[in-house]
Amino acid sequence: MTTAVHPYVDALLTGTRDLPTSPHGWLNERRGLALERANALSVPTTRDEEWRFTDLTQLTRLQLRAPGAPAEIAPEAVLPYIVPEAGSRIVFVDGVFVPQLSSTASAVSGVRVAPLATALKTDAGRLEPHLARLAGFEQNVFVALNTAHLRDGAVVVISKGQICEKPVHILHIATQAGTAAYPRCVVIAEAGAECTVVEEYQAMSEDAYLTNAVTEIAVAARARVRHIKLQCENARAFHIASCAVVVAKDASYTSHTVSLGARLSRYDLSVALNGEGAFAQMDGLALISGRQLADTHTLIDHTQPNGRSAQLHKTIVGGAAHAVFNGKIFVRPGAQLTDSSQQSRNLLLSDKATVDTKPQLEIFADDVKCAHGATVGQLDAEQLFYLRSRGLTETVARNLLTYAFGASVIERIPVRSIVERLERAVMAQTGAAA
Amino acid sequence: MKNEKGPELLDVRALTAKVAGVPILKGIDLPVRAGEIHAIMGPNGSGKSTFAKVLAGHPAYEVTGGTVRFQGHDLLTMEPEDRARAGIFLGFQYPVEIPGVSNSAFLRLAYNTVQGARGKDELDPLEFDDFIREKMKLLDIDPAFLDRSVNEGFSGGEKKRNEILQLAVLEPKLAILDETDSGLDIDALRVVAGGVNSMLKPDNAFVLVTHYQRLLNYIIPDYVHVMEGGRIIKTGGKELALELESRGYDWVVDEYRAGEQEKGYVGASAA
Amino acid sequence: MSSVLEQLVNKPYEHGFRTDIETESAPKGLSEDTIRLISSKKNEPEWLLEFRLKAYRHWLTMEEPHWPNVKYPKIDFQDIIYYSAPKPKKKKSMDEVDPELLRTFEKLGVPMNERAALAGVAVDVIFDSVSVATTYKEKLAKVGIIFCSISEAVRDHPDLVRKYLGSVVPPGDNYYAALNSAVFTDGSFVFIPKGVKCPMELSTYFRINTENSGQFERTLIVAEEDASVSYLEGCTAPKFDTNQLHAAVVELVALDRADIKYSTVQNWYAGDENGLGGIYNFVTKRGLCKGVSSKISWTQVETGSAITWKYPSCILLGDNSIGEFYSVALTNHHQQADTGTKMVHLGKNTRSTIISKGISAGQSNNSYRGLVKIGAKAAGARNYSQCDSMLIGSKSGANTFPYIQVNNPTATVEHEATTSKIGEDQLFYFRQRGIGTEEAVSMIINGFCKEVFQQLPMEFAVEATKLLGLKLEGSVG
Repeated sequence: MTTAVHPYVDALLTGTRDLPTSPHGWLNERRGLALERANALSVPTTRDEEWRFTDLTQLTRLQLRAPGAPAEIAPEAVLPYIVPEAGSRIVFVDGVFVPQLSSTASAVSGVRVAPLATALKTDAGRLEPHLARLAGFEQNVFVALNTAHLRDGAVVVISKGQICEKPVHILHIATQAGTAAYPRCVVIAEAGAECTVVEEYQAMSEDAYLTNAVTEIAVAARARVRHIKLQCENARAFHIASCAVVVAKDASYTSHTVSLGARLSRYDLSVALNGEGAFAQMDGLALISGRQLADTHTLIDHTQPNGRSAQLHKTIVGGAAHAVFNGKIFVRPGAQLTDSSQQSRNLLLSDKATVDTKPQLEIFADDVKCAHGATVGQLDAEQLFYLRSRGLTETVARNLLTYAFGASVIERIPVRSIVERLERAVMAQTGAAA
Repeated sequence: MKNEKGPELLDVRALTAKVAGVPILKGIDLPVRAGEIHAIMGPNGSGKSTFAKVLAGHPAYEVTGGTVRFQGHDLLTMEPEDRARAGIFLGFQYPVEIPGVSNSAFLRLAYNTVQGARGKDELDPLEFDDFIREKMKLLDIDPAFLDRSVNEGFSGGEKKRNEILQLAVLEPKLAILDETDSGLDIDALRVVAGGVNSMLKPDNAFVLVTHYQRLLNYIIPDYVHVMEGGRIIKTGGKELALELESRGYDWVVDEYRAGEQEKGYVGASAA
Repeated sequence: MSSVLEQLVNKPYEHGFRTDIETESAPKGLSEDTIRLISSKKNEPEWLLEFRLKAYRHWLTMEEPHWPNVKYPKIDFQDIIYYSAPKPKKKKSMDEVDPELLRTFEKLGVPMNERAALAGVAVDVIFDSVSVATTYKEKLAKVGIIFCSISEAVRDHPDLVRKYLGSVVPPGDNYYAALNSAVFTDGSFVFIPKGVKCPMELSTYFRINTENSGQFERTLIVAEEDASVSYLEGCTAPKFDTNQLHAAVVELVALDRADIKYSTVQNWYAGDENGLGGIYNFVTKRGLCKGVSSKISWTQVETGSAITWKYPSCILLGDNSIGEFYSVALTNHHQQADTGTKMVHLGKNTRSTIISKGISAGQSNNSYRGLVKIGAKAAGARNYSQCDSMLIGSKSGANTFPYIQVNNPTATVEHEATTSKIGEDQLFYFRQRGIGTEEAVSMIINGFCKEVFQQLPMEFAVEATKLLGLKLEGSVG
C-alpha cells in the first residue's frame, strides 16, 4: 500500500483505506483515484501562486484525527440555526448524517433531500455524472482528501420542471476538537427546476478542527439554483471548502456566501457557464477580525456565447485580520457577447488589518463586455462626520457605516430569516471588529 | 408635398439579399423621387431594417440579386463611405457606442469628409463649433453632447437625437431613418419630427422605417409601403398608415396572400 | 475579419534593414572570461569587474522566471554574443562617426546632427551594445548636467556611478537583471545636479544590428534635489529569423522634490506574421523616489518585440512622493506582451496613478500585470489604476492580473478595468457617415489611448500615433 508523499496528507488519509466498498463501482473508482492524487500531492505553500497569501503552516502543525461517533445533540441545541422558511433540513454532525435532527420528507414530489447512502439507492444514475466529478481533485489536495474520504453527504435532487419553493437547509455542525471532517453536498437541478439551498457550517466546540468541504452543483437547462453559504465556524477552526458549479443553457446560478468564522478559511468557488445564455451572480461577504484570515478564490468560466455574470465581493477587515480575494474571469474563444462584471470592495478597519485582492480577467473573445474593479479603503470621513453632526457617537457612526457596507450583500439573500440572523451577527461583530 | 415631377433619386428593382446565408429580402421594388417622404411599415421581422442596412451597404448583408440606382449611379458597387459621401444617410435603429472618440471630433470629421466630397469648403474647428452649436440649438440638443464620446452612455432618446443632429449636419440627399421613433418619449418624438420636416427640401427625400403609426402623426408621408416576408406587399397613401393602426397588419397580409394564390392558380392553370 | 482591416494591421516592419558595418565581437557564450574580456575592453576599474562577477555568480544560482504569461523556447545563453561594437573605434565628434552609421540613424529618423540642434533634443545612440555618439554634451555640461554613455561615466565620474549603480535594481534582483549586471556593455548615464531643470529633452536611441547578439544596456538617471529631467528612449532592430535577447536595466533615482519623466517608444522587430524571429524584450526598469515630494513618471508605448516582459516600477520611499505609469501596449500576429508596473508605497501620503491600455490583434496575447502595494507605514497613500483592453479580431487574448496588497487602513486604492473592441458595427457607423476605415481605426485607437499619448512629448506622441496606425493596418474588422 502506498503512502502519501506528504506526511501531513498521509496522516489525514488514515481511515480512507478502510472505507466500506460501495456497491457502485464508479464511486469506488473515483475514491481510489482521489486517494492516488492525495498521495501524490503536497500541502500547498505560499510559493504556490494560488496560495500566495494563505499560509497553511498552522494547519499542518495541528494533529488531526478522524472524528469518532458524534455526541448526541439535543434538538433544542440546534434551535438557533433553524431556518423557519425551510421545507426540509438535513443535519450532519462531524460529517455524519444525523436523522434525528433532520427532516427530509418533502411535501413536494420531485424534490428529494437525502443523505448520500439513501440517494445512491434512488438517484445513482443522476449522481453518477456529477458526484466526485464536478469538483476536480487532480490538482487540489483538499478536494482529493475529501473525495478519498467520501462516504456521507447531503444530496438535493430537483426533478425536471419542479419548483421547490421552500429552501433546503443543509446544516453541518462540528463538535469534536482535533478532528478533520469531510462534508459533501451535491445539488442537482434538472431542466427547468428551481430551488434554494442553504449550506451552513456551525460549531459546538471551541477548539481547533478542520472542516474540509466539497460542494457540487449541476444546474441543467433553464433551471435556477440559489445557493446560500454561511460559514460560522469557531474562532480556532480551519475551514477549507471548494464548490464547483456547472450551469447549462439559459440556466441561472446565484450564490450568496458569507464568511464570519474560522481562524483560517479558504473558499474556492468555480462556476462554469457551459451553455449559451447561462447566468451567474455571485455575492460574497467576509467579515473578520482578530487574527482571522479569510481567503476567497473564485473562477467564472464563460465557455459559451451570451453568458452573463455579475460578482460583488466585499470584505470588512478589523484587528490584525487578513482578507484575500482572487477572482478570475475567463472568457473562452467563441464566448462572444459575454457580459461580465466583477467588483472587489474592501474595508479596512484597523492599522494591522491587511487586504490582498486580485481581480483577474483573461479574455479570448472580442465581442464581450467585461469590467472589473477593486477598491480598498476606510470609512468615508465625510459620512462619519455627517452622522456625528446628527448626534451619533463616533463608535455608533462607525458601526453603522460598517454595517451598511456589508448590508448590500446581506440584503440580497433571498431567505428573510437568514438576512435577519446575519444582520444581528454583523451588528454584533462590527462592534468587535472595529 | 407629393411631387410626381421631382427627379428620381433612388430606384430599387427586384432587390434580394441574405444575411448569414438566410434570405431576408425577396424582391423589393421602390422608386423614390426628390421631395418625397416614404414610410415603410410592417411587422417585426418583415425585413424593414435589413432593407435600410442594405441600402447603406452594411457588410454583413449580401445582395443576391436586383439593382439599386442612386442618382443614376449603381449604388451596390459603392463602399459604405462612398454611399455616405454621395448623400445616403442611415439613421440607425441602435446607434453604436464608440468610447474615446468625442462627438465633436466625429461630427467634424464626418462633416468635412462629406463636404469635401461635394467639392465644398471644409470648416476648421472654430468655424465648425459655431456651425454645430447653431444646429444643436435648432434641434434643442444640449451642447454638452459635444464633449461626450460618440453615443457612449447616452440614453436611447439621446442616441436618436444624436442621429438627427448628424442628419442635420450632413444634409443628405436621401435619409433612411430606421425605427428612429422607437424608444422616444413624446417630446423627443416632436423634436425628431420637427427636424425632419424642416429638413425636407425639393431636392431631397426621406424613407422612414417604422413599426408604429405614431411618428406619422407628425411627419406626413407621401407613400406608405407595407413590408412582409421580405417584400413590399402593399403601397398606399398616408391614409394606409391610419388603417394599419386601427386594423393591424393581418388583413394586408391576408389580402396579399389571396392575391398571390389567385396568381398561383392562374399560373398553374396556364401551365 | 474584413480585408481592409487585415491590410491595416499587417504593414511590414519599416526598420528591418541591416547596416553593414564592421563590428568587433566577442565570441559567443558566457563565462567569467567573457565578462573579464568585456571589462578589459572597456578599461573598467576593478570594482566594476567585481560587481559584474558577483552578479554573474549569483545569476548562475538563479532560475528563469516562469510566472509571466508568455511562452518561448528555452534560451541558450551560450549562443549569444555578449559584446559587439562597431569598428573603427568610437570617434570624438559627430563628424568622425562612420557615415554608414549616420545614414542608418537617418533612415530611422533619429535627429542626431544639425537636425538634433533644431529639434532641441540631445541624443545618445547605442548601436548594438556600444554608445556611438552623444550630442549636446558641452552645452549640457555648462549647467552641470552629465549626459554621456555609461562607459564614459565610469571613466569620468566613477564615484557617482559607483554610488548609484545597482542601488535601485540590485545585481541579484531577478534573473535578467543579474545577467545584465554581469554583461552590460553600454547605456546612458544622466546626472542632473541640485536645482537644475534640464533645458531640453534627453534622448537615447537603441538599435540591435548584429545577428545573434544580445543587447544588455544599462541606463542610470540621477536627479538631485529640486532637479528635473525628461528622458526619451526609442528602440529598433533589423529583421532576423532568429530571436534576439534584449535584457536592459534602467535605474532612476529622484532625490527631494526631483522629477524624472521617462518615455519609451519601443518598436523592436516583432517577428513576422507567423511568429518567426523578433526580439525578446526582458527589461527591468525601476525608479526610486528616494526624496520627499519626488516624482517619477513612466510612459511607454510598446508596439514591437516578439515577447515583451517588463514592469517599469516606482518605489515610493519619500513622503509625498508620486509615481506614475502610462502605458500603451499593442500586440499583433503572434506577439506576446506581459507588461505592467509595480507601485510600492512606503512613505506617507504617497500617490500613484496607473493607466494601462492594451490592444490585442491577430493571434497575440496581451497581459497587464501590476502590483500596488501599500506598506504598513504608508499612511494616507492613494492609488488609482485603470487598465483597459481592446480586442481586435476574435483570436487575440487580453488578460489583466492586478495584485493589490494593502497593509494600511488609511490608504485608498481603486482599480478599474474594462474591455472594448473595434468591431464591424463601429466601423460601419463611421463609414456610413463618410469616414473611411483607416481613419476610423486611427480615431478609435487614439481615443482609446488618449490619456497615455497626452503624457508623451509632442513629437513622440505624433510618432506613437503613426506607429500604432501602421502596426494595426489590416487587422481590424
